[in-house]
Amino acid sequence: MEINKNIEDDGVIFMSIKDKENADKENTNQANKGGDVTILAIESSCDETAAAVVRNGREVMSNIISSQIALHTIYGGVVPEIASRKHVEKMNGCIRAALSEAGITLDDIDAVAVTYGPGLVGALLVGVSAAKAIAFAKNKPLIGVHHIEGHISANFIENKDLEPPFVCLVVSGGHSHLVVVKDYGEYEIIGQTRDDAAGEAFDKVARAIGLGYPGGPKIDKAAREGNPDAFTFPQAKIGDAQYDFSFSGLKSSVLNYINQAKMQGQELNQSDVAASFQKAVVEVLAGHAILACKEYGYNKLAIAGGVASNTALRELLEKECAANGISFYRPSPVLCTDNAAMIGAAAYFEYEKGVRFGLDMNAVPNLPLGDRERRYHANKN
Amino acid sequence: MKILAIDTSGLVGAVAIADGDMLLAQFSIQYKTTHSEILMPMLDDMCRKVHLDLSSIDAIAVAKGPGSFTGLRIGAATAKGLALALDKPIIPVPTVDGIAYNLYGNEKVICPMMDARRNQVYTGLYTFVPKMPEGKSMERTFDMQIIHGQYAVSLDDIINEINTLGKAVILLGDGVPVYHDLLEKNLKVPYSIAPLHQNRQSASALAALGAKMAEEGILVSADEFAPDYLRLSQAEREAKEGADHKKDNRKSDIKTPGIIRVRQMTAEDIDDAAALEKLNLGKEAWNRKQLLDAMTRDDTIYLVAEKAGRIVGLCGVQNVSGDGEVTNVSVAGDCRKEGVGYKMVKQLLERGRGLGIENYTLEVRKANAAAIRLYEKLGFVSEGVRPGFYDEPKDDAVIYWKRN
Repeated sequence: MEINKNIEDDGVIFMSIKDKENADKENTNQANKGGDVTILAIESSCDETAAAVVRNGREVMSNIISSQIALHTIYGGVVPEIASRKHVEKMNGCIRAALSEAGITLDDIDAVAVTYGPGLVGALLVGVSAAKAIAFAKNKPLIGVHHIEGHISANFIENKDLEPPFVCLVVSGGHSHLVVVKDYGEYEIIGQTRDDAAGEAFDKVARAIGLGYPGGPKIDKAAREGNPDAFTFPQAKIGDAQYDFSFSGLKSSVLNYINQAKMQGQELNQSDVAASFQKAVVEVLAGHAILACKEYGYNKLAIAGGVASNTALRELLEKECAANGISFYRPSPVLCTDNAAMIGAAAYFEYEKGVRFGLDMNAVPNLPLGDRERRYHANKN
Repeated sequence: MKILAIDTSGLVGAVAIADGDMLLAQFSIQYKTTHSEILMPMLDDMCRKVHLDLSSIDAIAVAKGPGSFTGLRIGAATAKGLALALDKPIIPVPTVDGIAYNLYGNEKVICPMMDARRNQVYTGLYTFVPKMPEGKSMERTFDMQIIHGQYAVSLDDIINEINTLGKAVILLGDGVPVYHDLLEKNLKVPYSIAPLHQNRQSASALAALGAKMAEEGILVSADEFAPDYLRLSQAEREAKEGADHKKDNRKSDIKTPGIIRVRQMTAEDIDDAAALEKLNLGKEAWNRKQLLDAMTRDDTIYLVAEKAGRIVGLCGVQNVSGDGEVTNVSVAGDCRKEGVGYKMVKQLLERGRGLGIENYTLEVRKANAAAIRLYEKLGFVSEGVRPGFYDEPKDDAVIYWKRN
């Protein structure tokens, strides 16, 4: 994956991510071979405005991300209203760039896909409205995609041989799920967080030890300098559900330690706290994931979501998978962040199954994973 | 010109297709369902019913704000998506102007009010001024005159402003029922409330005003269009508070940068107008008092040109028994050659007909070539010279007339 970055006047970072393999066969991008399915995908569930063109679910023809992260840093987290406003400003530019880099026009696409949940409702609505308008104006099928199903599908892009069934650990700012992907678009959640998402805990601890936002990458970096065994923070086990997570106890324990240290005038070793906290999170995540593979009898494990780019988590899972005879799949870090290519990948398998959404599609901020009912909800146009 | 109009700025979700003077279709819903669920099916249904070939549309008019933040974004993202796919421009219609346009031809003061929460309304003050045609025809057309462009303001302030104008007012918009008691108690001028077919956002009014704007060239590309919220987000507001709290209230929030808007001068503009006069004319400039006196007479019209919340031009005319004496024309140094003078004086001449002015006259320094070009372009003809009329530097005054 090759990333071209450009910082715009308003602080938004415009990125074009190129798949080197595809870049080599660029000339084949021009003509749509018979039977190919080309999807324009749109994503705006949080603070990234993104558009991509994906062919047959696995071939990324273009992948454009406009990241507002710099605008939200001063507020210590994503401000929904600011994010939504920026999405309106950036959406058309992203779509135009995605089409032009793919070397196609809207007439060449087979469907328009968009994330319709979960996420920030105001932010989601921008992508949903844009996608519906384009699908309507160009008379193309419309496909709504679950954001997390998109993250899981990012694995199909770089691992061309990966096919269901497999276990997927989904960890991001808003989600911590252990999922069995039974078939394309068929998900069974076997474990989830009881309180905070893993990414949320990263953000809060990062803020408390003065690393700032976004917490995930900052803790990851600081932890490299620190001793992961400096402190032992508790790893919660949920008695009645062995695949569920709980991070609030861990988070409180870290915050308590920091307060105590401050009150006693001790100097806080940022790196040691970061490394020890990270170790506790990563061990729980990896432990659950490996256990699930063994118990359910799958020999493939994939990870997805923003926290899936965490170095310690990747390293530990690689080691554990190797030790247990499990094949380990992970997207490149850039495909772990929010992007539209993953939405295009997920949408392809829905498209093939004949899933079509009506123009009354709405943003669903708390859309459950694998909800089959909603997607057939209105298709009477 | 064929226009597709979309308004989702408030509780009403509305779409219309206007083709020239004909309203081909209009769908409007004011119900508890969300715009997100309703807008596209409604648009789809409307287009099917009139067998609309979408590619035949010339432009998409959309209520650009103010309004519900989410509502504005649904309208904006939809309009931008359509415009991108169809390769058409967007006409960004100010929401409050669009509501006022429901009452076309009404010479009373028109005050739309949208509930903006936090004890504020999005509002503005408008009236329609008849334009006399050339020749003897009895046909009249009206120009919507913006007395106060749309802004977010407390209810007390807008009530004060209406009372200060001292003229009968027509109220409309979803803020009226919300604040009815306060309005009833505090308004000191006769007022009425527009009936249901005129009292909310209307896609057809938006299309009609949009067509006018498009004629004036007020079109933007699909990519550059963004809503005009008139308000910062809460997080930005809180971050800014303390720093420049007072300054922030009006000017910076209201106006669209780049677009030149001509409107009637109000008392609030006097300081800026006097400063502009002083800068351009030095000793010959009118001072605050002279401007205020001239502006408040009933035989004069004073207009200002505004760009990005700043007064960049002013002009005025006085009716002396059917002859209009153009008393002032001033354009800020950094905004010349942008058509500010032309746009402003042209409106002045048109509006002057409403005062019963038939012929116009003015004097200009012989050395002021730019001004002379402007007047000649507007149809003025030189009819004489007053030698040595101006001082510092000494110059002749050229007398110009535009006779009908």
